[in-house]
Amino acid sequence: MGRTSIKNKLIMYFLVLLLIVIVVIEVVNQTTKDFFLAQGLSIALAMAIGTVFGIIFSRSITLRLKKLSDAAGKISCGDLTQEIQIISSDEVRDLEEIFSLMVNHLRALLIDMKNVSLKIHNTNSILKMLAKKLLQNSNEIDITAKIIAESSAKQTEIVHYTTIKLNNSIKVMDKLVQQSSQTISKADAAIKKTQKGESNAREIISHLELVLKQMSESAQPLSRLPEKVEKIKIVMNVIEAISQKTDLLSLNASIEATRAGESGKGFAIVAEEIRNMAESSKQSSKAIAKLVEDILEDNQMLKEFLTKNQSEIDKGNKIIHGIVQTFSDMLLGVKDIFSEIKSMEDATVRQAQELRSFSEHFQKLSVSASRNYDSTQKTTVAAANQKNEVKRMASAINLLDKLSKKMLETQQQFSLPEQKKQISDKPEEED
Amino acid sequence: MKLFVFKAKDKYIGIESEYIYRIIDDYKITPVCLTPKCYAGLIFYRGELFDVINIRLLLGYSGHLENTYDEPVENQRIIIIKWHNKKLAVIPDEIIGMIWIDGNYEGLNSYRHENKDINLIKPDYIWKKLLELSYGHH
Repeated sequence: MGRTSIKNKLIMYFLVLLLIVIVVIEVVNQTTKDFFLAQGLSIALAMAIGTVFGIIFSRSITLRLKKLSDAAGKISCGDLTQEIQIISSDEVRDLEEIFSLMVNHLRALLIDMKNVSLKIHNTNSILKMLAKKLLQNSNEIDITAKIIAESSAKQTEIVHYTTIKLNNSIKVMDKLVQQSSQTISKADAAIKKTQKGESNAREIISHLELVLKQMSESAQPLSRLPEKVEKIKIVMNVIEAISQKTDLLSLNASIEATRAGESGKGFAIVAEEIRNMAESSKQSSKAIAKLVEDILEDNQMLKEFLTKNQSEIDKGNKIIHGIVQTFSDMLLGVKDIFSEIKSMEDATVRQAQELRSFSEHFQKLSVSASRNYDSTQKTTVAAANQKNEVKRMASAINLLDKLSKKMLETQQQFSLPEQKKQISDKPEEED
Repeated sequence: MKLFVFKAKDKYIGIESEYIYRIIDDYKITPVCLTPKCYAGLIFYRGELFDVINIRLLLGYSGHLENTYDEPVENQRIIIIKWHNKKLAVIPDEIIGMIWIDGNYEGLNSYRHENKDINLIKPDYIWKKLLELSYGHH
């Protein structure tokens, strides 16, 4: 439908009024003969009709404007339930449409505001709860950060102490490696000496066996000696018996010579000489017997010595065999020890390397621990700051909550159509 | 003059050689019971019996006597003495032999020869000492 402006409406109304006036004047003129009267009546009727038209026309505009004014007044009081009826199609309609659009926009804005306020309120509640939790967490973080800082300090101290210990351990390990090396060289020397000892012992055994053989060969005449000496003793006994008898005979001869008196003197001298000879023979025999006894004793001693020597040599031989065996066992043992020490040295070297590597890593760990310490210090400060910030955030959230409540209270002052309100409430429920 | 010298323990005893009849050895001595300890027994030599006396014990010289006379002692020599129809056999410790002495020894109890003091005794002295003894073992 096309728009009609007030001007056109007014022109149309004026033309219609003019036509009516013309018609009335004509009618009056036809009915009334008097000109003036007719003119007067015509003017009066024209004015009356004009006034009625004017009133009707002005009322058609002022009433609508009053409605708008009333609606604007109610809207200003927060009543947005007012509906503007758009009837005409003149310039007031534009105003009504704009006003209606404005009201709609205001409603939408209010609904949006309400939604936003509710969302803000809800979000604020969540934020409040979160802020509370955050504050608790911040407190815990702060406490934990302090504990971590203390632990980190202790850790740094321990790491430092451990680093010193580790360095000492590396020194000890280096010393151990050096000692292991020395031990290996000594074990090697011990192997060589043991081998030499074994070969010497074997040589001694061969020499000893040779000596034993020679001794056995040389002892054979010695074993025959007692028999010969026994024969000598028999002969010596015979000689002694003869000398005894001779002595006795010479004694008796002396006695007989004495009995013979002066004539027996010569015989007595002979008897005496014979007795001396017998005595000499006896003494010689005794000396020889003594010598033979000595020889026998020496021989016996020699035999005992040889027997003892033989047994001692046998024992020695056994001992040397045992020594050789011991040397062999020792050699095996020393070789085992050597291999064990060698493997121990390898293990020690590896351990030293591992310890060195561990020390390097530990140095890195030490650096990291130092950094951690710095970081924990910073974290402690940051946690404290965060706690303050969270407190400030909580106060801001409280403020925001108050503002959102105030906003809701303000929004409560506006009334909206039920249907729209319900529609507008839906997203909130959806949220 | 000749002296027959023998040894009893460490004492030298000399008897005039004319009283010495024989020196024998390895001779069996037959023991006789209820006789003094110094009485060794009897020997039978060339048809005669002789009393055998251990001179060391008889003369009272101390010392241990090992001989029991049950069996002949090796190299045990016995001096057979005969004088004035008396006879005796004496066991010395050792026989030294004959020595010549010059001069008169009558009345002397001892004689020094080659740094040895020889006690001079007569067979009667031995006989007398023997008779002084009581019978039976001491």
